[in-house]
Amino acid sequence: MVGPFDFILNYSHVFIEGFIVSVEVTLVSVFIGLGLGILAAIGDLYGGRITRIIVNAYVEFFRGSPLIAQLFVFYFAIPSLLNFIIDPVLAGLIVLSLNSGAYQKGYIKGAMEAVFKDQVMAAMSIGLKTHQILLYVVIPQALRIVIPAWSNELASMAKSTAALLVIGIREFTSASKTVAAQTFKPLETYAFAALIYFIWIYTMLKILDIVYERVKIPGLEAVI
Amino acid sequence: MVARVLEGLDVWKVYGKTVAVAGVTIGINKGETKVIIGPSGSGKSTLLRCLGLLERPTKGRILFEGTDVYASKLDLSKLRAKIGFVFQDPSLFRHLTALDNVKLGLRRVLGLSEDEARRKALEALRLVRMEEWADHYPAQLSGGQQQRVGIARAIAMDPDIIIFDEPTASLDIELKWEVIEVMRDLAKRGTTMLVATHELHFAREVADEIIFMDHGKIVEVAPPEEFFKRPKTERARRFMARLLGGVTGW
Repeated sequence: MVGPFDFILNYSHVFIEGFIVSVEVTLVSVFIGLGLGILAAIGDLYGGRITRIIVNAYVEFFRGSPLIAQLFVFYFAIPSLLNFIIDPVLAGLIVLSLNSGAYQKGYIKGAMEAVFKDQVMAAMSIGLKTHQILLYVVIPQALRIVIPAWSNELASMAKSTAALLVIGIREFTSASKTVAAQTFKPLETYAFAALIYFIWIYTMLKILDIVYERVKIPGLEAVI
Repeated sequence: MVARVLEGLDVWKVYGKTVAVAGVTIGINKGETKVIIGPSGSGKSTLLRCLGLLERPTKGRILFEGTDVYASKLDLSKLRAKIGFVFQDPSLFRHLTALDNVKLGLRRVLGLSEDEARRKALEALRLVRMEEWADHYPAQLSGGQQQRVGIARAIAMDPDIIIFDEPTASLDIELKWEVIEVMRDLAKRGTTMLVATHELHFAREVADEIIFMDHGKIVEVAPPEEFFKRPKTERARRFMARLLGGVTGW
């Protein structure tokens, strides 16, 4: 059978390789971004003046500038200023993680503030130390509260990986571009690519919904 | 000799221009129940939080079992563990079941084993008659039940004193009684207690001493019989008249 989309099978390895890069970069960035987001939120809520200034400068820079500009800074500008060469995938991971952390900081800080002050005082009153209060009282609740916001984050990160083609990473959009150029079928190729992005993101969001239902605690979701 | 458990000496707490507590001196001995009454905004809560080491006084000293808390280099969290605190809002940890709320301090502060912590937590829940609800989350409990779990969380730590900050103030009338009964039991078992409350019945029945506060100061201190029959100060008389206005036959 010869249909308009048969050529895709011939290029399946190109698509698959690109797709794997996109998925890996997304998951690693969101994961590292979560760690950065938690640290930044704690710094902003509990840190001194200097810490808060540093945290906010970081967050504002990454939220307030285009992702492509950030990629250029970390892939071209900083390495050439300091005279070193950086692997594009590493540069991409650094930028996307920092970018994701800047957004997640906002979600997590909001969620931590939703863990009411009275619980923090109650935790103090039974003798828990500050780090224990964060670990056993604030963060477990904040993470549950923040899950719905992660839907945004995962979807937005998945789409952001497409920007990595500007620094030469062979992710899914870049792979599609190669196929489109070689087959002279841009319409079919990009339509297929868009469909894959949609299925991928939709699946991640469904999985997140399931996780949310699993870890949900009666009464805690009402805090949002 | 009587053992002083907790003592505040000339305690002041000032927020900006507002003076919440204005030079209060107060002491609680082992086994005593003292009740603080006074209008809302009289500084009761702030004073109790200072005594519970949850807020640092602007001026004045807090002595726990004879040691000046802020003059020494003692670990505040260790001392707090010995002072139970029950809040006006139950303030339970919402992601933990009733049992785990009580267990948290036993495991992480006292360092008990899982089994030992569980045993002690269940015992504390039994004391407040909440054992059957051990596996419920705070949102699945009524306000009175949550407050009783809050009390269990405090008593499980075997504190040397328990401070109650208007524990029934945010509860409906029919839920108040279950909490008051638990507090009455505790007082009768000889628990050292400092209680801020508007429940005059309770105060009259269990208090060794009534402390009347207004405008951040202690206005009057007297044994309950004397205080309720013949308040010495005009302010205490007026406050009680207002509080008893709607209550008959007590």
